[in-house]
Amino acid sequence: MGEMVREDGRTANQLRPLNCSRNILNRAHGSARWRQGDTEVLAAVYGPKAGTKKNENPEKACIEVIWKPQSGQIGKLEKEYEMIMKKTLQSICILTVNPNTTTSIVVQVVHDDGALLPCAVNAACAALVDAGIPMKHLAVAICCCLAESGYLILDPTKLEEQNMKSLAYLVFPNSTTSVCTEEASLVDGEPMEHGIITSVTHGVMLVDNYLHCLERGRAASAKLSDFLRKSLKSQLQSDS
Amino acid sequence: MFCGKEDKLETMELPNDSGDLGSEMEVDAFRRLFPLRFYERHLAESIRPDARPLSRARDTTVALGAVASANGSALAKIGSTTMLAAIKMEVMTPSVELPDEGCIAIEFHMPPICSPLVRPGRPAEVAPVVSKQLSDTILSSGMINLKELSLVSGKAAWMAYLDIYCLDADGALFDAALLSAVAAFSHLQIPVVSLNDDGKIVMLSEEQDDGNLDKGAVNKEKRKIALSSIPFSLTCVLHKNYILADPTAEEESIMETVVTVVLDSSNQLVSLYKPGGPVLARTSVLQDCVALTRQRIKELQNILDEAISGMEVD
Amino acid sequence: MTTKHSAVPTTYSPSPTSRSKPSVSKDSIVDWVRPDGRGYRQCRPAFFRTGAVNAASGSAYAEFGNTKVIVSVFGPRESKKAMMYSDVGRLNCNVGFTTFATPIRGQGSDHKEFSSLLHKALEGAIILETFPKTTVDVFALVLESGGSDLPVIISCASVALADAGIMMYDLVAAVSMSCLGKNLVIDPITEEESYQDGSLMITCMPSRYEVTQLTVIGEWSTPEINEAMELCLDACSKLAEIMRSSLKEVVSGSQE
Repeated sequence: MGEMVREDGRTANQLRPLNCSRNILNRAHGSARWRQGDTEVLAAVYGPKAGTKKNENPEKACIEVIWKPQSGQIGKLEKEYEMIMKKTLQSICILTVNPNTTTSIVVQVVHDDGALLPCAVNAACAALVDAGIPMKHLAVAICCCLAESGYLILDPTKLEEQNMKSLAYLVFPNSTTSVCTEEASLVDGEPMEHGIITSVTHGVMLVDNYLHCLERGRAASAKLSDFLRKSLKSQLQSDS
Repeated sequence: MFCGKEDKLETMELPNDSGDLGSEMEVDAFRRLFPLRFYERHLAESIRPDARPLSRARDTTVALGAVASANGSALAKIGSTTMLAAIKMEVMTPSVELPDEGCIAIEFHMPPICSPLVRPGRPAEVAPVVSKQLSDTILSSGMINLKELSLVSGKAAWMAYLDIYCLDADGALFDAALLSAVAAFSHLQIPVVSLNDDGKIVMLSEEQDDGNLDKGAVNKEKRKIALSSIPFSLTCVLHKNYILADPTAEEESIMETVVTVVLDSSNQLVSLYKPGGPVLARTSVLQDCVALTRQRIKELQNILDEAISGMEVD
Repeated sequence: MTTKHSAVPTTYSPSPTSRSKPSVSKDSIVDWVRPDGRGYRQCRPAFFRTGAVNAASGSAYAEFGNTKVIVSVFGPRESKKAMMYSDVGRLNCNVGFTTFATPIRGQGSDHKEFSSLLHKALEGAIILETFPKTTVDVFALVLESGGSDLPVIISCASVALADAGIMMYDLVAAVSMSCLGKNLVIDPITEEESYQDGSLMITCMPSRYEVTQLTVIGEWSTPEINEAMELCLDACSKLAEIMRSSLKEVVSGSQE
């Protein structure tokens, strides 16, 4: 597999510079801005508010995601993103703590330069922490792009997304650091972060290529979750 | 169909075993009050309440040509989930960038007849999501060569409106919708048309055929479009270490983690869709889902082939 | 991998919109020839099947020639929150068309007029006292429109209500008639409806010999109305027999 030169001079596995700041909106219960290169998303959390919407289980907390595109009205793509985000965030929040409540997450796209959905998941996750919503673990999302030759790059820009044959958005649980011994935190002989929360793919690829994406995405997710943890910690200290 | 339920009555070990009717009522109540425990008791015995083994999909049928007012149509049933897909061909002016390509517009509808959860005036939340998934899958699979839908380069091309209606919603909506869509395309006949003096494309009725054919005929005979690498899908529900293929609506609502795998006829991955859910999918689980899908697409291909050959005999 | 977000281009159907066939006007003495070769007093073969939708409390599928309809009944279930207390049950009806139901692709939207006519036709036959405080929803979807859509929807809805076990005084059968010049044709198809000078529809409960709805549109003379009503009532009672036997089939089938 020949090396492919990326426009911005990154190597295939290199992510764009990350930036995360929390507590940037006054009125929201929690908020965060997540930047990945030129892609920027703002997430605001409101709630938990009393009551659940119709057709939702009142015995559990309800999560609602509202997607605000950079411009224009929302269409099918935005509806799909809302649904994916909702189900992803539901799986990382502890829904039994605040039954019969609704937590709204408003996702505002500031600028889209590729890997928009993963960026939004990361932003929402940081905003949930900022709002103090009880969570089982954090989640980190990453985008993998595949070229015709099977060559794989991480965290693509918009231009790269358009030129590649297929791509996969993957969401992993972040690696946990707990007081338990390492064996105790294993799920069926594998660490939890080897599981996958969400997978969305576009374009045709070989099954082996997809598995390759999983492997590389998982490796990169470790770096991402280190960054997320570090940035959450540093801001916690500055808050107090 | 009900025998499975009856078989399980003994294993439910309910306190009341006086009379058949009495215990049947108890099972029903148990199912409603503790749905998860009800299912787990079944899963431990490697069976489902409808008597299916975990990896078996429900009975599947395809009928082509269900709607006479469309250019191509099909009715697909997976268990009681029923989908009606129909294609209507209209003419458009192709875009400047792609003068030799037609277009496909895909819409998925959930009318209020299909489920007690859908009310008129309040469209179902999942409908636009399934719609988007279907167009992504069909367009990215390369099943249809859009160049085949061209009529006059730069002037006119076909716009294929594919509308899929869910008539009965009982789980695995995407699988049934994709199957009906693929079947509708295999039934599609492109009508005979010609270019008239105003530069418009008009349909040639059968009486006019002989005389007018040479004069500006664009599409001389009814033809089918070639379908390459047809995509088929299988939805599975994950619960603990169990993988349940082709879930019913009840199974989807109780065990929330859903994985949909779409493979084409050369076993390439068109989509692997897992929107969240409480169960984390390990690589080996995803590989199992892909393996189940590989088996399933062989069944689906056979069902589709039979439906097509059945049409040709008529 | 490019996702195009271009606006949907305007399209047109290649099938001719204006027909060249001579229309039969009131003055013409020419006899109308039915396109499907039926006699004036001959209905299309009717087919009913119950239990078409498992998710519903009751449902039915009806096919009259090319007219294909599915009706689902939900409930009796909780009324909408905004509804006031009511001693008697409520009936809620909705009729929709698929985008491919008509020769020219439609919007597939709800049909308000048919919804309210369906409601009026059924209301008189249902014993609303048997489900106080709750609502029965009757939803119809026209899969393919081949003429006489509304009468087919009404007949199909009453079979679906029976399938759902909703108490009724009698089945409601509906038949319509078109007036083409001096000819009266029963159970018209779309083409006949597009040339008609007037139309008449009767929905009735044949065993009680009661009419729940009568609509007359267009130009009719009194003798013509009388003749058409007689013919429709006669056809209704025959139709009700077919509807009843479709319900019996299911019962005897499941007992085996």
